[in-house]
This record gives sequence, C-alpha cells and structure tokens, in this order.
Amino acid sequence: MNSCTDCLSRGTCPSADKPMEEYIRRLPLETAHHRVEGQSTKCGFGLQGVCCRLCANGPCRVTPDAPRGICGASADTIVARNFLRAVAAGSGCYIHVVENTARQLKNTGLHRDKLRSEKALNHLAELLGVAGEDKYDLCVKVADKVLSDLYRPEYEGMELVEKLAYAPRVKRWRELGILPGGAKGEVFNNIVKTSTNLSSDPVEMLLSCLRLGVSTGLYGLQLTNLLNDVVLGDPVIRSAPVGMNVIDPDYINILITGHQHSLFTYIQDRLLDADVVEKAKAAGAKGFKLVGCTCVGQDLQLRGEHYTEIFDGHAGNNYISEAVLSCGAIDAVLSEFNCTLPGIETVCEELKIKQICLDVVAKKANAELIPFNYETRQADGDRIIDEIVAAYTARRGSVPMNLFKDHGNRNTLTGVSEGSLKDFLGGSWKPLIDLIVSGKIKGLAGVVGCSSVAYGHDTLTAALTKELIARDILVLTAGCSSGGLENIGLMTPEAAELAGPNLRAVCKELGIPPVLNFGPCLAIGRLEIVATEIAGELGVDLPALPLVLSAAQWLEEQALADGAFALALGLPLHLGVPPFITGSKLVTRILTEDMVSLTGGRVIIDPDGKSAADKLEAIIQEKRKALNI
Amino acid sequence: MKRIFIDPAKCDGCKSCTLACMASHQDMTPRRGTLEELRQVLYTLDLTDPTVQSRNRIVSDGKGGYSPLFCRHCDVPDCAGACMSGALQKNLETGLVEYSADKCAACYMCVMSCRYGVPAVTPDRERMIKCDFCQHLEEGPACVRSCPKKAIEVREV
Amino acid sequence: MERFVIIGAGAAGITAAQTLRDFRPEDVITVISTDERVHSRCMLHKYLGHERDIPGINFVAPDFFEKNNIYHIPCQTVTKIDTQAKTVYYGGEGYSVPYDKLLLATGSAYFVPPIPHFREAPNVFGFRDLSDALKIDDAFARGKRVFIVGSGLVGLDAASALCRRGGAVTIAEMAPRVMPLQTDDYAAGVYQRVFEDHGCRFLLGIGASDAAVDGEGNITEVILSDGQRVPCDFIIMAAGVRPRIQLALDSGIKAERAIEVDDHLRTSAPGVYAAGDCTGLSGVWPDAMAQGKAAAENMAGVDTVYEKPYPFKNTSNFFGVTMLSVGRLDLTEGAEVLVHRTAREYKKAVIKDGRLTGYLSLGDISNHGLYLHLIKNGIDISGKKDRIFRLTFGDFYGINEKNGEYVYTV
Repeated sequence: MNSCTDCLSRGTCPSADKPMEEYIRRLPLETAHHRVEGQSTKCGFGLQGVCCRLCANGPCRVTPDAPRGICGASADTIVARNFLRAVAAGSGCYIHVVENTARQLKNTGLHRDKLRSEKALNHLAELLGVAGEDKYDLCVKVADKVLSDLYRPEYEGMELVEKLAYAPRVKRWRELGILPGGAKGEVFNNIVKTSTNLSSDPVEMLLSCLRLGVSTGLYGLQLTNLLNDVVLGDPVIRSAPVGMNVIDPDYINILITGHQHSLFTYIQDRLLDADVVEKAKAAGAKGFKLVGCTCVGQDLQLRGEHYTEIFDGHAGNNYISEAVLSCGAIDAVLSEFNCTLPGIETVCEELKIKQICLDVVAKKANAELIPFNYETRQADGDRIIDEIVAAYTARRGSVPMNLFKDHGNRNTLTGVSEGSLKDFLGGSWKPLIDLIVSGKIKGLAGVVGCSSVAYGHDTLTAALTKELIARDILVLTAGCSSGGLENIGLMTPEAAELAGPNLRAVCKELGIPPVLNFGPCLAIGRLEIVATEIAGELGVDLPALPLVLSAAQWLEEQALADGAFALALGLPLHLGVPPFITGSKLVTRILTEDMVSLTGGRVIIDPDGKSAADKLEAIIQEKRKALNI
Repeated sequence: MKRIFIDPAKCDGCKSCTLACMASHQDMTPRRGTLEELRQVLYTLDLTDPTVQSRNRIVSDGKGGYSPLFCRHCDVPDCAGACMSGALQKNLETGLVEYSADKCAACYMCVMSCRYGVPAVTPDRERMIKCDFCQHLEEGPACVRSCPKKAIEVREV
Repeated sequence: MERFVIIGAGAAGITAAQTLRDFRPEDVITVISTDERVHSRCMLHKYLGHERDIPGINFVAPDFFEKNNIYHIPCQTVTKIDTQAKTVYYGGEGYSVPYDKLLLATGSAYFVPPIPHFREAPNVFGFRDLSDALKIDDAFARGKRVFIVGSGLVGLDAASALCRRGGAVTIAEMAPRVMPLQTDDYAAGVYQRVFEDHGCRFLLGIGASDAAVDGEGNITEVILSDGQRVPCDFIIMAAGVRPRIQLALDSGIKAERAIEVDDHLRTSAPGVYAAGDCTGLSGVWPDAMAQGKAAAENMAGVDTVYEKPYPFKNTSNFFGVTMLSVGRLDLTEGAEVLVHRTAREYKKAVIKDGRLTGYLSLGDISNHGLYLHLIKNGIDISGKKDRIFRLTFGDFYGINEKNGEYVYTV
C-alpha cells in the first residue's frame, strides 16, 4: 500500500479501548486514527462557525477587524445559518431512514411477507389509531399513515405528532410555534432559509432547529424503531459477544454498515437458505456470517435473539470499521447509509474486500451500487451473494490474516429497549422509579450518539460514563457510544464493580451492568420513550426528571438533529466539543442558557469527563431536589 | 538567536497562525500551550472583540498568494531604537525585542518607526502589540505550531 | 584605556553611554547632567498628569549606571570645556574631568518670545525637563488657571496632563489650528474638540502681546494682541525650542543656530562630538537615540556615517485619539492629495511624482510604520495609488534568505 510507510511514521490517536489502540497502531494500513495527527491543526474560524462560503464573495471570516461578511451578515447570522443547515441535513438523514423503513413495512404487507412481531404491529396501530383487515393490511395502513405525514407539505402540521409525543411537550411546542409540518418539507424549507441572502434572523433559525428536532425525533428516531420492530422483531435482553473476537474466519464474512436495518431483511434470511449455504461450502467456507459495525450492527445486535444463526456479533463502532476490515477475514462490506467511512475504501481495495451499496445516498466510490428494490430483491440478493462468494474465492489465501481474537468480550448485555426493559422490570416502571426515589439510582444519563477520534477515540465517552456510574447514575446508551462502551466491558455484569456503592448493589441484585445498551443511535428514540413513560407515571413534564443526556463525542449532522430533539424535549444535553457555534455570543447564549426558559433544555459544553460529570450530577441533584426526592 | 523563518510560497492564507496568536495571548498568565490547549482557547476566542488582537498578519500578495507579516526581532530594531520609555528593548542574550507593557507610554514612536509595519496599537490606545515569541509557552510560538503548511518555522540564526 | 565624557542624560546621552559600554567594556565613561535623575522628556506629561511617579518616567533600568559601570555626576552644569587640555569644568567650585573623547548632548531649551514680562516673570515655565514639571506641579497646587503658549506637541502634552487633573487650561496658538506642524485642518479640528471636551479652551490665530503682573512680578493676566485679557495663575511656554549651544560657544566650538557636526557627528573641536537636539538635526526622540548611538560608535573607533535624519515625523496620542503624521502635508503644490474618511478614521496622502511626500492617519495607526519608510526613501508607489491607504509591507515583500529578516523589494 503506497501510504504504508507514511502512516507508520505517524502516531495514532488514543482510544478508550487500549488493546484496540495498540492493534491500530501496529496496522500496516492507514486508518482514521492515523489521520488525526495530520488534521490536528483546526481552522479556528471553522471551529467557531464564523466562516461563510454561501456565495462567491466568500469565504468570509469574522474577525475583530472584519466583524461582518461582505454581504453584511454578522457572526450571529453566519453561525445560526451554518448550524440550521447542519441540523436540516441531519434531519434529512433520519427522515430518509424512516421513509425507507415505512416503505419496507408497506412492501412487506403488500407482499404478505414475514413479520417478526405482531405485538409490535398492534402496538403501533393502536398508537397511530389505524385499523386494518388483517395484519398485512395493517402494515400497509400503518406505513401509509407514516408516509403521508412525512410527505405532507411543510405548511400543514404533522398529524401524528400529538399521538407520538408527550402531551405537556406538545403544549409547549405549540406555544413556541415549533410544531413541525411535513418532515421532508421542513428539511426542504429550512435548507432554503439558509441559502445565500435569505434568512438572517438567528433566533428564528434556532427555533427552526427545534422544529426540525421534533420531526426528526418523533419520526426519524422513535417511529423508525417501532416500524422496524414489526419486520425485524422485538429486542430481547440477552448476553452476546462483542468486539473483533466475533469474527470467525471459517465463514464468508459480510460486514454491514449503515442505519437502515430493514434493507437487510431479505438477505439476512436468504443467507441461511440451504442452497445459499451450499454456495459457501462449495467455495470452502462453513457458511455466511454477518459481522456488525456502526448502528446497523447495533440494531442487529439489539434484535440478536432472532438472528443467532446468521449474526456473529457486533464488532465495534464506526471508527474501528477500518480496523475490523483489516483483520483479513471480512470478505465483503454491505452498506446502505452513513458512518460508512470513506476510509474503508482504501482498506477494501488493499485487501480485495468487495464493497456493495444498497442505497445510492451512501454510494461509496469504489462500491458496486445495487440499490435495494423490493420487487427485484430476490434476483438482486442472489447477485450480491454470488459477488460475495466470488470475492471470498478470489481473496482468501492471497491476503494476510491479522485476526484479533481476544478483542472485546463475550458477555455484553444487549437487547435493551423500552419494551424489553419494562418486561424485565416486571411490566412496570415502578421498580425503576422506586430505585430512583430511594436514591439507590441517583438519576439516569443517556450517553448517546457517535464516536469520534479527533480528540481520542471514545475517550471522553468512556471517561464520562465511568464518572457517572461511579456517582450512582445509571447510564443508558444508544449509538456508536454503545459500540465503544461495550467493547471495553462496561456492559458486562462485572462492570458493576466500577459503579458507586448504591448502583453496584442494584446491578448485582438484578444481574445487570451499570450501563444499559439500547443499541443504535435510532434507539435514542427508545430512551426518550422510556423517559416519557416514566414522566407520565410520575405525572410530571420531561424537564422535571433527574435525567440528563450526553452526546459526548457527537460526530455528525445527524447528531445535531438528535440534539435539537433533546432540547425540544427539555433535556440537558452535554457535548464534548461545541457544534461550531461559539463564534456567536447570541447563538451560544440561547443554546446554553436561554433554552432553559424556552423548552427546559440546554446545551452544556465540556471536553473533560470529570467536570462534565460534575455538571450533569449537579443538574440531577437539582431536579431531585425539585421533585422532593 | 532564534527567528521565525517564513516561506511565503507555502502559505495558504488560512490564518491559523493569526488565531493561534490570539489564542496564545488571550490569557497572558504563563501556562502550557499544547495545540490541544490552544484549541480549547480557540473555541472561546471572541472574534468580534477588537481587543482580541493578533501579533501577526497575513496579507494577500495580489497574485493569488500571501505575504505573512511577522515581527523579525530585527538585528537592529527600529522599534526599540525609537522607544522613549524603555519599554522596547533588544535582549542581547535571546535576540528578542522584548516589550514591557508597564513601562510603555503609548507614544507609538515604535509604530511609526518599524519600516515593516509590524507594531500595532491596542483599541484602548494604552499599549502596543508585537510578537513576544510566546515566551509564556514552553512549546514556543503558537503560530509556528499551528501552521498546517509548515510555512513558518523557528530557526537559529 | 580611554576616558569618555558625556554631557547630558537625555535620549542621546544615555544611548551613547550604553553604546560606548557595549563597545568598550573596560574604559571609563562619565555622564554629567543637570538632571538629578534620568527621565524621558517625552513622558513628562505622565508625571505632570500624576499618572506616573518619577521612577515611572525613567527610560532605563533603575540601576543603569551601576550595572554598566558608568560614573554619573548629576545636578551639575558644565561651565566650560578646555578643548586643548581636553578637560570639562563643572560646578561652582570648579571641578573638572579630563577626557579623551567628549560628547555634547546638551539638548534644547524652551524659547520665550520677547513679550513684556514673560522673560522675567517667576510664574512662566517651560516644559522640557523634570525640573520644569516639578515647578509646574508646585504652581498648579496654588492655582489651576493655566495659560499655555503654543499648541504643538509639548503644549498639548502639558494641557492634557493638567486637564486630566481638573485644570482650567487656555492655549494660545498663533497658527489657525492646533498642532499646526503635524495636522491639517480636519485632524486639528478633531484634536481641538477632544481637548475642548476635556475642559481646554483654545485661542487660535492669536498671540500674547503683553501681560499684567502683581507685585512680585508674577503674570496675573495675559493680554492678547486683540486686547483680550486672560487671567491666569501661571504660564507654560511651548512655543518652540532652541538647541542649547551656549556651552559650545563659550568653549570655542563652532555653533550658530546649533552645534555644527559633520557626517560622523564630530564638532569643530578634536575629540568632541555632539548628538541629539543640540545638533539641530532633528527634534524627535528616535533621531536623538540614533545620533547618540552613531556618535558613540565613532567615539569608540567604529566608523559610522550618520545619515541625515528625516525630521518630519511624529505620532500623538491624546485622550486615546491617535495620529501619525509623516512627511510634508503642507507642501501640496503640484501634488495629488488623496483623502479617506470614515466615522472612525481619517487618512490623507500627498503624492508627488509617483512618490509619497506626506501621510497623515488619524484613528487606528496600527502597522503604519512603512509610510515613514516610503516617504523617507522616496519609494515609487505610482502603481499602488489605488490602495495607498491600505499599503502593507506585503506590497514590498522580500526576505533575506540567510538571516530571515525582511528586505524591501521595490
């Protein structure tokens, strides 16, 4: 590989996962961890969000000598505009996911294909107020209900908002004028707002962020999960292997990356059919295995109960995908959405790994595009399988193996969802509420979102999580933060030892870890359902709960749309690095201070695990006090 | 002595050096100045505050390139040779032209006398501003370390 | 071993002493000064305004003489130089110091025009030395009505200091505007307003022609040429300075308006050099320092040609209003005058034959040093007229690859 000597001469970034850090440091391939150093000089204008290149007069950069862009835009305008643009793009990503997921459910109904959870279907139908002739018709009706809301114009309010959201919140959103119109229309409209010389009103743009947050959260996050549950099966709490040890070189291994689990429905079943397994055997393998990576891997892991045969386990989050591929035993990458790093391309090329994309929005440069199409799924599926077998045959024996068999662990607790957790607690939130009231659990913290590397791979996520559990705060995770935390063992029952004495006792009694893994970032929506249900049982609004969120290592625009939902819900949201806003005093003040009076939420920025935990704990204590507990 | 050598051909005009300079002098109490620490300051730099000043400047050369303007700590410094308060002194040991803000009377003879136009005035018109080689940072000048193109480097002369 | 004697402890004298010590670590250096303590004349207003104490206007380290092993003889006036015997006489008792090389850095003295009573009145002060400032301070304690003759930099320095302390200051200026040598009408107007805002009153285009005195000869009223009478407690003369040449004249050293020097700053007497205001070459601090340095180098045997200074340059900073004024703004015949004005800035460029001959900037004068260089060296800027107010060294960029210093590319 041409960059090999170059990359070896450079250092890699630290990781919370020390064995992985060492593995990556020794890789003969370049990964994101190697590229951190070369990108260590950050543009200060970019960091602060005061670089504008919306027009040919630019890029304009705000400095004390030049406080406005050529057009006259102030730092406040430029920052708010850049931020809204990012939130709108992030919202678009999640809305794309829920749209495909709903279409998948509809097609499943139309074709009377396999449903894995009628319970989930009935729950959803009830929630949305939909009736059908039979379960298949119900799928179609539910999907149509969702799709018609997504496609609604922006000037018409979305119909399902009141059905999906907590009533006190809907009331507040109405007061603030942030009830969204059609979700796709909202994205469209807000992108328009941020174009050259359109909106210059930072406050209106921030309110638009909240509106996008509502549509993103209710549809992109919550509904996607509920829709997927029908076709892919309900999460079931179980113990599972995680990390690179899950990779069995005797199989033809397919790494899956992305966010749209439903696009894999067909192929993951097909790979177990006897005629297909025979193809693998003919090529010299025992069969096929899917190896999880990024959120789609997390989702498969979450529902792993239904896929024990085909799914080997979750290897890790986005920022170890290059490392996972470099083990040599992965033969193909099937990807359909983001967190599929461009960096895997050179690794795949070097190691002759076949890349196939199932969705054009995430088309990788050197991947073959076979967009998922329900009508042609059988022929496409067989073609994909044949290509993967061909890749296996061509590469095995000619590429070096660099397995990492003792990486990760084999007893990570997975399968936690709003449903499975409630079942685990005996069908009611009361036991959890009692633990919180008694102080055995001081509060809840959702440590969610992404993994990033620029300031250390999962380092802040891990440090913060350890600090929180040591303070008897139960941590719930969703997203690539889960992938990092599970690989370092924080979701094994043994991790109870790292918790504070009260939480430790609870964990030991229940046999659970102090960090509960809800799976993919989409499952942030599940966390929020948990929170809403607890709030409902207590009869309080969400901001009153001793609950905090942290997207400590938020990475991308999607995370910002998630974050906007958290703020709309009125939750305190910690971020490790500012989302390119600090160049505007106004935007920073609104997000970090004034938001409290708007929604009850606020952004807390802190790059240090300990001091961030101090702040989050203080908020939890405040809220406990206000609740008189 | 050490001097910051400039290779203008390598400069892309990103102004990372300018921001690094601002960050380094945001809080002049001696402290460490790793790139990471400087970055943390970058987030909080108020880029609309005229008192946040850089000691270096990057100007366009009018031909698509850039001319980095950095204090040379001249062998025969015009600025120190014009100073009527003794605030500017050439340190014969380090070669640096050092500035003592306490002594400065803000007469701006230095501003007038530097033929390269390096010294600047503060918005309150009570001090001047020039490169101090980031002597408060163990790691040396922040600008040099922040240049992604290595267009500036510290060399012994 | 050589014996160096320096008369005067101002910018030129002190710079010369330091330079001599740098070149001659072992030789004997003696500085004789009328001043008790070294101080920057350009900072007298900081003392008078009570912004700084006396050590605060020292422009060298407090242990300058000890550290450099220089003999300082303070509070002494040199009365005569025997250029044959190479001996300097000072003090009423007739003390003397022999020298091998001597530097005259006697500076300049304020000028009092021949107006009745002005030359004799005990309440008429200059504003050149710390002794002047001390006297004014004393007088100000007794009366706050101040009459200043002249609105040049010295007059305004004194005015700003006393306005700051609540004085009722009146300034009479013969010219029709303040700081006539450095400003144009617009810039002068800006300064006039800012001084007026601080309680100062200007009488422009008019001079004092007479005075009323009390029994002790103190002036109690200044009578202007139009008959106006301005009551005052004391008077500060800031109507120009004259090089101090009496000592040179008394010692047979050639001097007329100023002490005559050649391009090595040598006077007519062997081994005797002169530097600073007393040479009449320039009246600004940087040039005095440069002359002190060049003279000292020649005294130390390092051949240094002193190039004629460019005297038309100054900066001012009053009440936070800063101005840089270089070149000849008054010589506009056959010249192109460009002006740039915004709410916070005023700039003027005088261009003649593709060369900048005058430049004025009021407001933020950051990075303006190159304008002096362009004017002084007559650098061609004809292709750069469109950005004359935004010129930077980038327009003349060059780097000496060997030592990394900049060089002008023209």
